[in-house]
Amino acid sequence: MTLPFLSIVELKSALIKGELSAREIAQQTLDRIEQSNPTINAWTAVTQDRMLSEADRIDRLRKEDRPLPALAAIPYAVKNLYDVAGHTTLAGASLFSDRQAAKNDSWAVRKLSESGALLSGMLNMDAYAYGFTTENSHYGATRNPHDLNRIAGGSSGGSAAAVASGLVPFSLGTDTNGSIRVPASLCGIFGLKPTFGRLARSGSQPFVASLDHIGPFARTTADLALVYDALQGRDPQDSFQAEKAIHPVHRLLEHGMEGLRCAVLGGYFQTWCDDNARAAVALAAKALDAQEEVEFPEAALARTAAFIITASEGGSAYLPELRAQPERFEPLSRERLLTGAMTPSAWYVKAQRFRYYFREQVLPLFEQFDVLIAPATPTSATLIGQETMRINDSELSIRASMGMLTQPISFLGLPVTTVPLQTPQGLPLGLQLIAAPFKEEACLRAAWALEKMGIAKAPVAKGLIK
Amino acid sequence: MTSSTDWALYIAQMEQILGVPLDEQRRAELLVQFSRIAGMAEPLMAFPLDERVEVAGVYKA
Repeated sequence: MTLPFLSIVELKSALIKGELSAREIAQQTLDRIEQSNPTINAWTAVTQDRMLSEADRIDRLRKEDRPLPALAAIPYAVKNLYDVAGHTTLAGASLFSDRQAAKNDSWAVRKLSESGALLSGMLNMDAYAYGFTTENSHYGATRNPHDLNRIAGGSSGGSAAAVASGLVPFSLGTDTNGSIRVPASLCGIFGLKPTFGRLARSGSQPFVASLDHIGPFARTTADLALVYDALQGRDPQDSFQAEKAIHPVHRLLEHGMEGLRCAVLGGYFQTWCDDNARAAVALAAKALDAQEEVEFPEAALARTAAFIITASEGGSAYLPELRAQPERFEPLSRERLLTGAMTPSAWYVKAQRFRYYFREQVLPLFEQFDVLIAPATPTSATLIGQETMRINDSELSIRASMGMLTQPISFLGLPVTTVPLQTPQGLPLGLQLIAAPFKEEACLRAAWALEKMGIAKAPVAKGLIK
Repeated sequence: MTSSTDWALYIAQMEQILGVPLDEQRRAELLVQFSRIAGMAEPLMAFPLDERVEVAGVYKA
């Protein structure tokens, strides 16, 4: 049996029925990556030996009739800022290419390995996770599988392209200001940025400790929820992790919109986007019976505060290397990082105080509504090399502004599921379904409902895999 | 802190304080970046917050 574009549930079923062995799944995945990766430039390393060895372990369990773990024989890949034992953690930066290999897997990779998933390799990203386009000057641009002339979004662009191309059913990315939601939107797949502090980050290269999140990409809501469930658990090494009990959500998806109240997020979020994004919001709002519009007061200032925290923490972290080897920095990021390291501390402290204030203003909205709807990006994928986009009669830098609708939400730390819709021009465009802190279940159930109605869908990009 | 602030002077001083020697091209790019972020920071710094609003920290002893 050849490997069609199966979901996690379908792959597991084929494995249990004996239609495919784990070894066959791994080998066919590796063959396809070898064939298609030169076109999209998503993988920066392929972990062939590890993948085959993980597959053989699953086949031994099958042979011995032992229970199979939740993600048995499911291929995946991770953004190249996750530690993978025996491999150098690049974080998209040539600066790190000669540092020692990681001794251990990151928390997330270890959890997925324990769940039986098969690691195929590591994926391209914006250097240091500082960008929204994955136009990496050292490792090359990752191409959008739906239109190879366009960006995949960033910073987790390789992670989104790997899933959108059909090469793996899921991947991991990270999101500081929108780095899961932006590429999910532009590549037309589902993405989950959980609540800040929900999933353990240890063993991943930090960028901005106050804002970094980890999370999965997939082509269905059910797959997204299965991976999210596998990633839950308490990690004593992660001091930023919230002390919350594990709350599996996959089995709850079928409740759909039962008891959920939705509203459209207006103001800033309806102003800074194009007509396609507004039409996508209107379509989802009608389907989810979202009749009211609410606003976040001072959303633009929230974006500014997120920007200042990012610049200051990210820049300060890289200051030793900016002093010691400035010539090895990505030219597009070096002066942005140095500017961040030089910002007055009063700006940073004000931004952190504003974060507290903003949360107190916004959280009461969730007493009236469970899910808020907003575009994930101001527009669909722009061309590789394009510098600016025209939004709200303003010429905006794509590199800085493709995440302007995601930044205020991650600043709040709210959980978001990104759902893929289509523009009339045929390009994908994602929406953010935003819930109250630690209510991942609500935004995933709303995503599941939109998928069941046929409004949100993530078809595999055509023509890449023969 | 206004838009007339001499950021070139500030950058020159920070270059010394942080020990990051720069050439003219890099100083010029830093000035572009700094002017942009300063323009963004201005309304944030002007936004009134109650004096008892604390930072949104997560440190736990």
